[in-house]
Amino acid sequence: MLEYIDKIKEISTRLLTEKKVDIIIGFRKGTLPMSNEPCFAKNAEDIKSFVWDSNCGINLANYLPNRKEKIGIIAKGCDSRNIVTHIIENKIKRDQLVIIGVPCKGMIDRKKISDMFEKEITEVTEKQGKITVKGNGVEKTIEKSKVLQENCAICIHRNPVIYDELAAEKVEEQKNVDRYEDVRKVEAMTPEDKWKYFDNLLENCIRCYACRNACPLCYCPTCFVDEAKPQWVGKSQDPTDTRTFHFLRAFHCAGRCTDCGACVRACPMGINVRAFTKKLEKDCFELFNWEAGLSMDERPPLDTFKPTDPDEFIK
Amino acid sequence: MSDWEPKIISFLCSWCSYGAADLAGVSRMEYPPNIRVIRIPCTGRMSPKFALAALREGVDGVWVSG
Amino acid sequence: MGIEPGRIQFSWISSAESTKFVQVVNEVTKTIKALGPNKNFVKRPVAETVSKVA
Repeated sequence: MLEYIDKIKEISTRLLTEKKVDIIIGFRKGTLPMSNEPCFAKNAEDIKSFVWDSNCGINLANYLPNRKEKIGIIAKGCDSRNIVTHIIENKIKRDQLVIIGVPCKGMIDRKKISDMFEKEITEVTEKQGKITVKGNGVEKTIEKSKVLQENCAICIHRNPVIYDELAAEKVEEQKNVDRYEDVRKVEAMTPEDKWKYFDNLLENCIRCYACRNACPLCYCPTCFVDEAKPQWVGKSQDPTDTRTFHFLRAFHCAGRCTDCGACVRACPMGINVRAFTKKLEKDCFELFNWEAGLSMDERPPLDTFKPTDPDEFIK
Repeated sequence: MSDWEPKIISFLCSWCSYGAADLAGVSRMEYPPNIRVIRIPCTGRMSPKFALAALREGVDGVWVSG
Repeated sequence: MGIEPGRIQFSWISSAESTKFVQVVNEVTKTIKALGPNKNFVKRPVAETVSKVA
């Protein structure tokens, strides 16, 4: 994956010098290890700071809605699906974009790694599927496959869906992955157990809305949690309010969520926010045979009606 | 708890179920007094917010009817 | 999510179907009576929560 960067830089520089785009959105090294940050490059000089490794988990599609200039964007599989969603929802025009597709082999979960070490991690490097972590006096090499983000481990769309340029050969898609094991476990619980499970899950939520801000789908001009008249959700950390927030946010993402994992990655408290969105993703897949962001020609299930739509829940 | 009666909030579409409720009233039919009717212009006006808001306020059931 | 199935119900009734309306009202009331009072998801007034803690 590391070798992609030369090609990414080459394409980006070409696009900028030929004035095909005004800006390129990519990644540069963050101030802390394992936290690459988005970088908006406006000239060839900026592109020198571009990086590509297994810490590029942030979904860059988040920076697209309502932009006016011509944009080059670096897109992994999930990013590209979110770009499709944005185009379908008229948040950006296809001809504004030059998409540099990057086949992805999964991003690493920095929480999994930092949980393995008591001391502060100062340096993380990777080489051929192995991650070497260096801290104050410790050094350890881990298999990358063991520390993948959970959504990456079960990802079946690693290659970009749409792209204008490709930074590398497409990678082989994972097959025979059980995508919904955890959802089924929750579904099998009794209502009381479910209640406890989610109580437990959200116990640490501090309502910082990092999950919402990192999510490319959450672009509403006024989020329902910020509405004051009528106020649908209290601002406090009352468990009912916290639950309402997560529950409604998940519903707003129904049929649009690509399971990119940006929400989980952004959460400072380590809450598995995907427990909510994934259930709806599963439902959309099973009821409507729909996976978000795969095609520009099809409308999402929630804004079309087909006589074949399932309606057993209606009397 | 024997005298507990549930409070059920019902969101009725102005054109369908609300009409049916009106007709039931005109025809002097009897039905349980537990439902509290909210008339919405169309079931399309329904939002998950409404159902959650009702539950948060402490109703025992929500019924949406088009 | 911990809200019992049946707590929220959906139906489709034409404006001419007053009999179906009455029938559905009866059904809904019956299921919810069987479920008992709703304990989850109710936002309790602050005073009540405080007295519980104390």
